Amino acid sequence: MQRISRREFVKRTAVTGAAFTSLPAILAACGTSTTSNKPSSLTIAAVQGAEDGPLKKIAPIYKSQTGITLNIDEFPYPDLYSKLVTTFQANGSSYDLCMMDDPWMPKFGTMGALQPLDSNFGFTRDSDIPAVVYDVGTWPPPSGPVPPSEQGKTKHLYGITIVGNVEMFMYRKDIASTPPASWDDVLANAKQYNKSNFYGYVIRGLATNPASSDSLPILWSFGGNVFDDNWKVMLDSTESIDAITFLTSRLKAYAEPGAASTDAADRDRLIAIGQAFQSTTWPAEVTGVVEATGSTVIGKMGYIPIPQGPSGKGIGMMGNWLLGIPKGSKNGSAAADFVKWLITPANMRTYVQNGGIPTRTSLLNDATLASTNPYFPALAKSLASPPNWRPRTDQWNAVETAYGTAVNQAVAGLKSPKDALTAAAATVRTLMQQAGYPS
Amino acid sequence: MSRLVAELPAPTTQNPVRAGRRRRSRQERLAYKILLPALGTVVVIVTIPFILAVVQSIQADDGTWVGLQNYARALSNPGFYDALRATGLYAVIVLPAEIVLGLGFALLVHRTVQSPGLRATLYILAVVPLVVPPVAVGVVARLIYAPGYGVLNVILERLGIIHQEIEWLSVPALAMFSVASVDIWQWTPFVYLVLFAGLQTVPKESVEAAQVDGATWWTQFVYIELHYLRPLFLLILFFRAADILRVFDHIFILTGGGPGTTTQLLSLYLYRVEFRFFQTGQGSALAVVVLVSISLLYTLVTRLLPLERT
Repeated sequence: MQRISRREFVKRTAVTGAAFTSLPAILAACGTSTTSNKPSSLTIAAVQGAEDGPLKKIAPIYKSQTGITLNIDEFPYPDLYSKLVTTFQANGSSYDLCMMDDPWMPKFGTMGALQPLDSNFGFTRDSDIPAVVYDVGTWPPPSGPVPPSEQGKTKHLYGITIVGNVEMFMYRKDIASTPPASWDDVLANAKQYNKSNFYGYVIRGLATNPASSDSLPILWSFGGNVFDDNWKVMLDSTESIDAITFLTSRLKAYAEPGAASTDAADRDRLIAIGQAFQSTTWPAEVTGVVEATGSTVIGKMGYIPIPQGPSGKGIGMMGNWLLGIPKGSKNGSAAADFVKWLITPANMRTYVQNGGIPTRTSLLNDATLASTNPYFPALAKSLASPPNWRPRTDQWNAVETAYGTAVNQAVAGLKSPKDALTAAAATVRTLMQQAGYPS
Repeated sequence: MSRLVAELPAPTTQNPVRAGRRRRSRQERLAYKILLPALGTVVVIVTIPFILAVVQSIQADDGTWVGLQNYARALSNPGFYDALRATGLYAVIVLPAEIVLGLGFALLVHRTVQSPGLRATLYILAVVPLVVPPVAVGVVARLIYAPGYGVLNVILERLGIIHQEIEWLSVPALAMFSVASVDIWQWTPFVYLVLFAGLQTVPKESVEAAQVDGATWWTQFVYIELHYLRPLFLLILFFRAADILRVFDHIFILTGGGPGTTTQLLSLYLYRVEFRFFQTGQGSALAVVVLVSISLLYTLVTRLLPLERT
């Protein structure tokens, strides 16, 4: 055996190592066709949970019809957002499609991270789908305040809703035959039906996003707001303070103990085991727990749009999940074809039969589908109302954290609603000014 | 002696100093070559990211230079001081508790358990909390403390100790206690294992001599065993302090940082600034501030505390 010097050994090891580490990249480069019109697969960045479950179920159907495999990369909710932002910052081509929660649209729109679906791929509005569903996927926003950096830009459709989430209201219809028409009715019912180990109302009051999501429909229904049309902070307005006072002191008197640490899963559990009368809810909570196997209240719950507040309106909150095509995707055309395929009436019906939440009015009002999805009529009405979306600013996550922390403080009794909202308003003003808004 | 002298190499004509220098130099080169992969790794995963963080901390999100503006904004945000306060309080609760409990267990087992089998069993039991993923720990802790169905309230109610549910996660002091208790459960075994290993290095002769001289268990600990454990306390302080700066999962699951910002520790605050708000400039500024502060703190701890074995 021939002896080799140490230097020679190091050289040979380095060359061999480099060859091995480069091999996957070389093979990948050989195997990828960037010019092919019809790729063999599409990769979708998706949120893990009830929202992407139906997508996974219809993937084999799409493959059988088109030969294209849908690879669904799942991420937990908080990870998906940061994963997408970093991918978009690098203009990465890892994903051909991405699922997006609608409050993310301002960030992605401002970044210019997505391909326009209307001008690039010929998407047009369908009269069977409520206009607000298209509006929420449009950037800059067609209504409400527009971020200063986005004013004057041409509006384009960047996202198509595939999960038509809108926050609604649920109550025990087997106990109260008449649904609450207003928040005063909600309070009266909470007082009437509250008893030992049965709570008149459930507050989802965990700090930040949960408390924010739970309270915004009440805030809006009371005439309060986060911003006015000129980005002036309205969290400390009389209407906003009244709304949060109503939630955190009047309704809280009949709410579950530990409301400040209650999240959606805790709320659903209380409802499902028959220990609570009413609360706000999201479609995924209904299908996932409240009306799912094991629940003691199947068929006993009534679902309605958000009750009216002193403003004369009941305003639900959108939480749509959209599909968009990242700018870095090399298979934009094929990705657009998949989205078009998915939202056809026939395919969306199949999607709904697999647990999907539709946006088509015809499907939401379909009696057959409503028999297995009792909240569909309420969702149809909520979408038609129309619901509000969360303010269209890329600063929303920081704003929501400040607001959701304030509501949580009020629920926990750490601060009065007025003090908590005044402090949150000051924080949000500073934040928005730093971000170049005229707050 | 004459044999030893005979075995010494015969003196050469070569200059011994120069020969030694050449040999050391070759050895040094080899040492550097061996160290190179490790140093390269440190540069890639520590030094370069730190430099990038410093650069990012003086840039706006669009890449323009803004000087110290991000530092000013980050340090003027009350949320940072809330997080700092929460982290300090958390450390003040968990560090002494873990050290006292870990030391107590280590001494107890060291002095009372002689069976190798039982010691091995205790060792395995102590390792279990350390290898459980923090997310799983958080989920289990939520089952213990959650409102409505928390096991702890059920047990206390059945024992007749309480008649009304305790809101473990909604009252600030209790919420901090709840999240700290999870840390104490998970990391006390680490302290126990380290100190127990340290106690094995105490020479038996010293202990036996002290016992013959009538040393009590306390004097035996203070004058003999503590002497061998001092460097390990420093190690524990370093590791645990670093861990406290990384605590995230169980707090995120249990309280989300609430009520209010009571349990929003620095790690959770930094995560939100960097990965929720994507205020990368401020996030980087905070990271630099925290890193520099901690480095200074560590230096002070090592210089001022009499933890070195004398």
